[in-house]
Amino acid sequence: MTFLGYPPAEHLLGDLGMAAEITSETTARVRTRATPQIASADGGVRAGVLATLVDVVGGAIAARVLRPDWMATADLALEVVGPVPGPWVEARGSLLRRGRTTLVVEALVVGVDEDGNDLVVDGRAPDPVAWASMTFAVLPTQDASSGGRPSPELPTRWAFSGGGLDLPVLEALPVTVLDGPAGRLSIPARPYLHNSFGAVQGGVVALLAEAAGAEALGAAQGRDASDMVVTDLQIAYLALAKVGPIVSSARVLATGTDGRAGAVVELHDAGAGHRLTTVVNVTAVPAEHFDPTVV
Amino acid sequence: MSAVDAGEPAEADPRRHVSDYFRLERWELAGEDGGDRPTSVAGRTPVDPHQRGPGGGLRTGGLLTNLDSLGGFTSGLSVLPQWIVTTSLMATVSELAHIGPLRMRADVLRRGRNSVVTSLGVVDEGAGDRHVAAATMSCAVLDPGAMVLHFDRPFHQAMPEASPDPVRPDEFFCIEPGEGPVTRLRLEDRLRNPWGILHGGAVAMLADEAACRAAVAAAPAGFGPNGVAASDVVLHYLRPVKAGPVEARCEVLGRRAGRTTVRVAIHDVGSDDRVVTVGSVAVLAV
Repeated sequence: MTFLGYPPAEHLLGDLGMAAEITSETTARVRTRATPQIASADGGVRAGVLATLVDVVGGAIAARVLRPDWMATADLALEVVGPVPGPWVEARGSLLRRGRTTLVVEALVVGVDEDGNDLVVDGRAPDPVAWASMTFAVLPTQDASSGGRPSPELPTRWAFSGGGLDLPVLEALPVTVLDGPAGRLSIPARPYLHNSFGAVQGGVVALLAEAAGAEALGAAQGRDASDMVVTDLQIAYLALAKVGPIVSSARVLATGTDGRAGAVVELHDAGAGHRLTTVVNVTAVPAEHFDPTVV
Repeated sequence: MSAVDAGEPAEADPRRHVSDYFRLERWELAGEDGGDRPTSVAGRTPVDPHQRGPGGGLRTGGLLTNLDSLGGFTSGLSVLPQWIVTTSLMATVSELAHIGPLRMRADVLRRGRNSVVTSLGVVDEGAGDRHVAAATMSCAVLDPGAMVLHFDRPFHQAMPEASPDPVRPDEFFCIEPGEGPVTRLRLEDRLRNPWGILHGGAVAMLADEAACRAAVAAAPAGFGPNGVAASDVVLHYLRPVKAGPVEARCEVLGRRAGRTTVRVAIHDVGSDDRVVTVGSVAVLAV
């Protein structure tokens, strides 16, 4: 099933198997199964996949609140609290503010069971998985011709169905590492990764930035990228990435004494005059940092 | 909505108190097009001893205040004769122990009809220009109305002299003493920006202080024996603070490996308790 004809049959969102539900005029929830294909080094769901989840839930709320106008994600911030404790991970979004030109949504990401119920671990609700917030730019209807104008009848429940991922999500994009220490990675701008504007979807952008940050920060510490866990993504979407390939670069910031470090990742659309499309602040720590004996 | 700091000379506009408190020097960098719409402004703050936090360097709320002032000013210059208000600030501080002074640079990344996006970087000059923080801020473009926005170009504002009577940031920003999940700020006129609303940097300082107090209150004994400090911060300025007092209400979302994630909702109590800012703060044990 699609949302107003999006996404196409062969698409990452379908392979992630996301299911969405509008829960009120200003709230929604979207969930996906926590599989090994989307896991990070600490066993949790990758920050880039969580960002994809919250981008979808934010977009669902924005589409409903703004109809008949449309929207584009302007910024997205995600802070990972802990690993996913359950078989599913669910983003629960709510509207914070609707202005004339922007709309702000926050989302709490939690683990849920097979039936979508809150988990109970040792008699209590476990900590949430992540907190996220997004700003959407409002696109008035007359400017929305390229974005798939929503009909007045929006669905309240839908699922993106696909064949599922049979390989790690970064390989499914696929991400190509050009120069790891420099954070130079590349993805094609193909329909499998498109948003409703025909550009690379915002969550895919987050995945590329996460991978680029992990490569550069891991190299700076003499580690493999797969040993790094990205905990924070702060994304500013500047322009649509339409032509491709989309190529990243990273500038590493100082490393703290516990191995926690940050990087600024830039994404350029190489096929569009190397245009800067996105800037992302990435924070990561070595997976070994998550020693359960440390409070 | 947060601050614009119009950069008027101190003797002409006492509302420059906030950036002067951190002794922020600012100078305009040559634009790529050489025109009067600059895209880059640099700044420098010395990191005075009374402004240092438990991490050893400029406390994060202070760093964010400087970034808000510098980024807001840069964004405003880029859209003259219009001006801006900050709508979101996303920052990561990867090194909390600064030697100082800290040098900052703001670059306009995108200037649209309704908004401006600016990136900010911070290096520690005392540590060989080590990159210690980065931020991105978004601003909404607005009509300045009757406000006079005139600047000598290229703009340069020298570093203010050190205060003979230094006060700590929480005292300067009128943050009331306390502990636990709720922290309150008294809205004094010197904390207002030229629009008459609470400076966005003061909101950031309140978020920092409140999140750190909440993290400590929720932690088991022994957490952060040397103190705590904010690192990654996201703030969405939803509405202006007009009346005060201002209250930051914190929810500790979780704690893992010495890091506590705190959601912060800031309310303007005197304006029907409306929510003015929402964000998250990562608090580290140091």
